[in-house]
Amino acid sequence: MTTLWDTTGTAVVQALAAERRTGGAVTSGLALTLVVVLEEKDTNDVTAAVATAAARHPMRVIMVLRHNIDAPVPRLDAEVSIGGRHGPGEAVVLRMFGRLALHAESVTLPLLAPDAPVVAWWYSETPKLIANDPLGVFADRRITNVIRDSDPAASLQQRATDYAPGDTDLTWTVITPWRAALASAFDTASSPARSLTVHGNPADPSAQLLAGWLSSRLGIYVPVEKAEGKYISSVTLEFEDGRNVAMTNEGYKLLMRRPGQMDTIQPFPKRTTGDMLAEELKRLDADQPYGEALGAVSGQTGLNQRPAVRTHIWHDPALAAREG
Amino acid sequence: MSGPEASIEPEAVEPAADSTEHEDNVPISQGDIVNLTDDAMHAISAGAGPALPSAQRRNPLRDPGDRRLPRVPEPCALVVFGVTGDLARKKLLPAIYDLANRGLLPADFVLLGFARRDWGDGDFESLAKEAAKEHARTDWSEEVWSRLSGDIKFVPGSFDDDEAFDELASTLDELRNSHGIKGNAAFYLSIPPSMFPTVLKQMERTKMADNSASGGWRRVVVEKPFGHDLESAIELNRLVDDVFTAQDVFRIDHYLGKETVQNLMALRFANQLFEPVWNANYVDSVQITMAEDVGIGGRAGFYDATGAARDVLQNHLLQLLALTAMEEPVEFTADAIRTEKLKVLRAITLPLDLAAYAVRGQYDQGWLAGERVAAYRAEKDVPADSKTESYAAVRLGIDTRRWAGVPFYLRTGKRLPRRVTEIAVLFKKAPHLPFSHTDTEELGHNQLVIRVQPDEGVTLKFGSKVPGSMMEVRDVAMDFLYGEAFTESSPEAYERLILDVMLGDATLFPRNEEVESSWRVIDPLEDFWAGQQPELYRAGEWGPKGADNMLARDGRQWRRP
Repeated sequence: MTTLWDTTGTAVVQALAAERRTGGAVTSGLALTLVVVLEEKDTNDVTAAVATAAARHPMRVIMVLRHNIDAPVPRLDAEVSIGGRHGPGEAVVLRMFGRLALHAESVTLPLLAPDAPVVAWWYSETPKLIANDPLGVFADRRITNVIRDSDPAASLQQRATDYAPGDTDLTWTVITPWRAALASAFDTASSPARSLTVHGNPADPSAQLLAGWLSSRLGIYVPVEKAEGKYISSVTLEFEDGRNVAMTNEGYKLLMRRPGQMDTIQPFPKRTTGDMLAEELKRLDADQPYGEALGAVSGQTGLNQRPAVRTHIWHDPALAAREG
Repeated sequence: MSGPEASIEPEAVEPAADSTEHEDNVPISQGDIVNLTDDAMHAISAGAGPALPSAQRRNPLRDPGDRRLPRVPEPCALVVFGVTGDLARKKLLPAIYDLANRGLLPADFVLLGFARRDWGDGDFESLAKEAAKEHARTDWSEEVWSRLSGDIKFVPGSFDDDEAFDELASTLDELRNSHGIKGNAAFYLSIPPSMFPTVLKQMERTKMADNSASGGWRRVVVEKPFGHDLESAIELNRLVDDVFTAQDVFRIDHYLGKETVQNLMALRFANQLFEPVWNANYVDSVQITMAEDVGIGGRAGFYDATGAARDVLQNHLLQLLALTAMEEPVEFTADAIRTEKLKVLRAITLPLDLAAYAVRGQYDQGWLAGERVAAYRAEKDVPADSKTESYAAVRLGIDTRRWAGVPFYLRTGKRLPRRVTEIAVLFKKAPHLPFSHTDTEELGHNQLVIRVQPDEGVTLKFGSKVPGSMMEVRDVAMDFLYGEAFTESSPEAYERLILDVMLGDATLFPRNEEVESSWRVIDPLEDFWAGQQPELYRAGEWGPKGADNMLARDGRQWRRP
């Protein structure tokens, strides 16, 4: 590992090249570059998640930590490592102070793996407009995590307003096991669905997205009804032929109850943030079902028809604070 | 610090007008739906899932664009004959656990074991648990197992016992209701081929193999060997295809379940780079190797009657050859792919001079990986005068426009220096080299090597200048390591194949005609070799001298894998 204090972007690029040379076997076959935007307090969580994902997708990870923008003198500290605690891939941790934080792309651009897709991940605070963050503008895929925002439901609405194909949110990734179980239940259905209800916390973005996905696919209104639990506790379905199914989350187990049949239990695998990040990195094209689900949640249409490329919109928090 | 801090207005975002994609499921907001007219409502539900008869109803929640959802089979039972055997314990049961752990088994699933033991469900369950725990690829989870163990049943009985089969049939019927498996069942015949007729007759008698009688699908999985010559293969195929319908028969060749083998098709048919040179104009020869460092282990009885050619050449190597040489299928479906493979297998020609181009070997004692190992004939239960080969190499040709004149060298053996399977495509040398002869002395054939196992991946070998003031060219290798770039830590081949059986996807399973065509290649070789003494090679060597001479005769040499 190389640690650089008060350094420049060029020195970081050279340090990475040197690490690669001394590493013996030069890591080849990078599939992507992952740019993570995080805060100092999240370093441990992000490191663990990135290590899990890097074991499944060979990648270069660039972690960007922006520190007090109003610091009088801009400064860059960096850490370069290969095959360390960030997993088997290459990792660069960049700490930016002062006005440099607003120009993070000037340091990250030369560090991107040549011609490999770029994925940006905001671990904590999603920017209101992704176009405000230059790191989101050059990324081919953008992953947000509204559950960590102060008002997740409002944040999800804002994601719809700001949506461009290629965006996804981890509150969507979380519900893949639910969606798989529901799709399986429909595999054996002999008639269309008459009604569905998601039970859980109506303000939970995942519950909203699950209901949104169901209504976008089935063409019927699927409500989220208040029930115990912070997230999704159960889903009930009724088919037109009168059959009904209740699926309940029993902590890493999914209990499926159908009248006249034995109850079945399916594993609901325990997934870490790293597992979910790995799922996100599997496909680097736009996730249309997410766009549709998000559209249904927000009442906005044509999300998937929006242009996939954003143009940077200059936003100066210092200026905004002074004016605001 | 000052930057280009000019304000840029956000561009007006307008949905593209001409988009036809996802026309049938325009996102609908919750607010809108309340006000929808009946007509509109009808249009939506028609788009999402028209009222089809139950069997063909499209699942509105499945969208080809939704690639996060795994393929999960319909409710079904998996019936394993010979469930106490080696294969079942080491591969099958662990693969089923792994599938359960990955959430790929349907909610309504039953594993039904059948074997000649006086056991209850509990005994079988504990055997299955032990086997799964020992050999599973994924992490052990007591939760997953407890869920699976509730779905494990055992029916004791011998294969000629009518009563036992009646019980099996009635158990399947009961499970249809109690476990909601809907009459779907796959039968896995993990038993010696000599038992096939008995078991199949029983299934026919009890109508267990009958799709229409069961009201669902009934499939059968057969393991190699698929016969021991053309005649026996035809007979076996007729028997299996009679009891089941031909498209419900799945012949497992576990090599085809390997990630790299499937990648061969992606490499060839998804890229522009390789196809133009994938023919006799540019290819000098192809070498397909499957080497094992182990001996015959405890399989003497089977192996001594079979030999390397029937055991490996007939199935694995000829399938790899077919995938390497086949034309592009018109679509990526089981039928189209199998049609192309069959065409290649039918076009295979044997050399006229079999004495020179079909070599057999048998390992003698020697040293391998630092250990002394015994000769084949000294292995337990092998007759001291055995003429069975543990090594076979042959030169084949393919009579098609694409491959005319290109030799395909196939070899397989036991007690070779290391375990490796690979396909090497050797390209012709450049017709003219502007360098002086001494500059390019070290330059060999350009090669594209597909490593099937271990280190799954692809290597491209080409000439490059040796750094320095002299012009000197030598071979270098460019490596793509599968495990490195796409490490969704590859599922075990059996996992993939069992899942495919339950999904009814026959892409990775050879069809009966393929098996028969393969025997048409092997039978003349076996006839020629009959009664001959295989050439000895020292254990730990790359095969007998005869195999080296075979290539030397053509001015070539084996690649050291």
